[in-house]
Amino acid sequence: MGEVRRRLRRPPDEAVAPGDLLLDATAWAPRRAWARSLWPYRWPLLFISPFFILFAVFNVYPIGFSFWLSLHDWPGLGPMDFVGLANYAELSHDTIFWNSMLNAALLFFIYVPVMTFLAVVIAAVLNSRFLKLQGMWRALIFVPNITSMVAAGYTFRLMLDKDSGALNHALAFVHVNAVPWLDDVWWARISLGLLMIWAWLGYNTVLMLAGLQTIPPELVEAAKVDGATAIQAFRRITVPLLRPMIVFAVTISIIGTFSMFTEPYILTRGGPIRATETPVYQIFNTTFQDLRFGYAAAESYVYFAIIVVVTLFQFWSVSSRDSVQ
Amino acid sequence: MSEDELSTKGNPLSRWPESRLTRRQMIQRMGVLGIVLPTLPAILEACGEEAAPAVTALSKDTSGSITVWGWKDSLNALKLVDSEFTAAYPNITFKYVERPPAETYRNIQLAIAAGSGAPDVALIEDSHLPQYVHLGALADITDWVKPYVSKIVSYKWTWTKKSNRYYAMPWDPGPVAVFYRRDVFQKAGVDPNSIQTWDDFYQAAKTIKEKTGAFMWQQAKARNDGRLFETLLWQRGTGYVDKTGSVILDKDRKVQQTLEYIGRFWTDGLAADQEPWTDPWYKGQSGGTSATVVEAVWMGTFFKSFIAPKAAGNWGVFLLPMWEAGGSRASNDGGSVLAIFDQSTQKNAARAYVEFHLGRDQSQLLMYEKTDIFPSLKPAFADPFFQEADPYFADQKVRTLFADVAAKIPDAGIYSTDYQQMNSLTTPEIQKYALGQQSAQQALANAASLIRDRTHRS
Repeated sequence: MGEVRRRLRRPPDEAVAPGDLLLDATAWAPRRAWARSLWPYRWPLLFISPFFILFAVFNVYPIGFSFWLSLHDWPGLGPMDFVGLANYAELSHDTIFWNSMLNAALLFFIYVPVMTFLAVVIAAVLNSRFLKLQGMWRALIFVPNITSMVAAGYTFRLMLDKDSGALNHALAFVHVNAVPWLDDVWWARISLGLLMIWAWLGYNTVLMLAGLQTIPPELVEAAKVDGATAIQAFRRITVPLLRPMIVFAVTISIIGTFSMFTEPYILTRGGPIRATETPVYQIFNTTFQDLRFGYAAAESYVYFAIIVVVTLFQFWSVSSRDSVQ
Repeated sequence: MSEDELSTKGNPLSRWPESRLTRRQMIQRMGVLGIVLPTLPAILEACGEEAAPAVTALSKDTSGSITVWGWKDSLNALKLVDSEFTAAYPNITFKYVERPPAETYRNIQLAIAAGSGAPDVALIEDSHLPQYVHLGALADITDWVKPYVSKIVSYKWTWTKKSNRYYAMPWDPGPVAVFYRRDVFQKAGVDPNSIQTWDDFYQAAKTIKEKTGAFMWQQAKARNDGRLFETLLWQRGTGYVDKTGSVILDKDRKVQQTLEYIGRFWTDGLAADQEPWTDPWYKGQSGGTSATVVEAVWMGTFFKSFIAPKAAGNWGVFLLPMWEAGGSRASNDGGSVLAIFDQSTQKNAARAYVEFHLGRDQSQLLMYEKTDIFPSLKPAFADPFFQEADPYFADQKVRTLFADVAAKIPDAGIYSTDYQQMNSLTTPEIQKYALGQQSAQQALANAASLIRDRTHRS
């Protein structure tokens, strides 16, 4: 450490004894100005370089290569055929791809509002001073999030079977007709939403808890002194102050919904009638089933662009409302 | 031109010493050459077929270390032959990597795209094989596989070839017949031998439903996988595409008839809505709430091992009913090969492994006896084992029945380079039809146009 600091303080053009030329690295100091200005920091840079090298190899390169790939036809082996923007042109009227986008949007509206609402309510309860065993409840609600999605998916599949599933047996017990959980276009989407809520409610609750703990209790107490009921104080004070956290959670949920893969892959296999095929599921199929690597790369780029646009729109709509208030 | 012609017209050349040639003789000889030369390639090829292929002989000294990829049931079968293999090739070491089929394929595709990491040998289903052959990912094994061509059930070679070169060694075929519950048929008073046509089959279905309450078969609606549809198309020698590769789903009347036939079982409540390979599906088979399963010979393996081990004696097998008088009673579903990858640096050892495990009657028979994976070597069918009664099927001689079917499987346009895609584009349309949201004709028209669009076929 001391060595590093010493060298950091050393001016770049420090005189070097002629005999040291071969031993001292400064002899190879670069000539270009920008490189020279970095030269004093060569040791720290060297020590942080592994991250950047790995990032370049495993992130930047694949991202760049995907774009290059999206301009080609390539079955995974042999020469790539350059096709220019043909993949993007085909994608513009690919009903199956746009259907997967629509599915993701529908899924978002099916489960995210419910999940976020529940997360806020549960977080408020967990944050209450009157609740006993707080630590235990907090741990319990988070457990699903660290459970293997594959195991959970298969369990849901068994429970939701229309003939032999536990859920329909329970419904029959209270004289409710069997529900085609996985055998109907809309129920399959709802079932997928249930699985998502089960898995992600705890995570969102923890986010909300963190948000709640930044709100000074005096504000609520002051409101109560002024005659507000607990529900009024929650609606008018807690929730508005919690907004940044809600915005963050919903943004994460948008990205999560569009990138959903394991859940539909295990629970519904994308069916029935493609009702639960998400964009990433579709990209996976294009790659590994159709062996159209170039087309799949184009799908990935369009998918990425759409997520960026949707996320920005959401930020913009929230912040513009803020300015109105 | 045959070798006889070569000896009368070509050989005189050697009897005429060069120096004594007159100009006329020269011209004559050129004339002869003119006839012989163009046919030379044909002659050479004819000779080549007779002679043994020029390949390095395998011996006890052949060495190497290889990796074999595949899935559980099949690898367990291959392992039965391992001790003999090691005795024959003590210098070859091998290891197995066991993954479910879908994962095996995914890893193969990644290895192919990456240019390294592929196994030396992998198990590949016939349905997936054309993709890899077409890509050029597999090693050309024509030189040593030729002697087996006439010995193995001929239809199995269909997907192993590209421009007359061979890229895989066939293993099990998937001859299809009707597995039926003897107890259910008996209770309903239906004689399985009386079912000759698919119309008979449908009438029997109604009787069985009426008398016993059992469904005739299991066909999921919203989760249909298209396999029965494909199997029945295969029986009729039709499919997704014709011989030239153009889509015929919406053109061949037989295709629509077949889908509508399956549809009648849904509308008339004769099919159990159960997804294949799930617990309710297994229960339907072990409990006798479904009377038949139209499936390939390998289904027997699963009945005996885990689906219905206690139902021994309750199952029987009969040939597929005919679509029209004198029509085919054979079809195929599934089946697999062993292929050597082009990336492999151990091709000799890999060849020894594949040839020893699949090229010998004893190996294929041993695997069949112990694990029910059906052989494709025709000489194996003559083994006395085939004549033995199978107690699981109430002492019926089902092995000869399946051997007969395997020899008669018709050509059909089901498996191709785009099979996965065709299946996945068609099944949602079948699901929509099953749920009563569109007609069979509409379903097939939609599927055909999607397939044309995405696979660039006519």
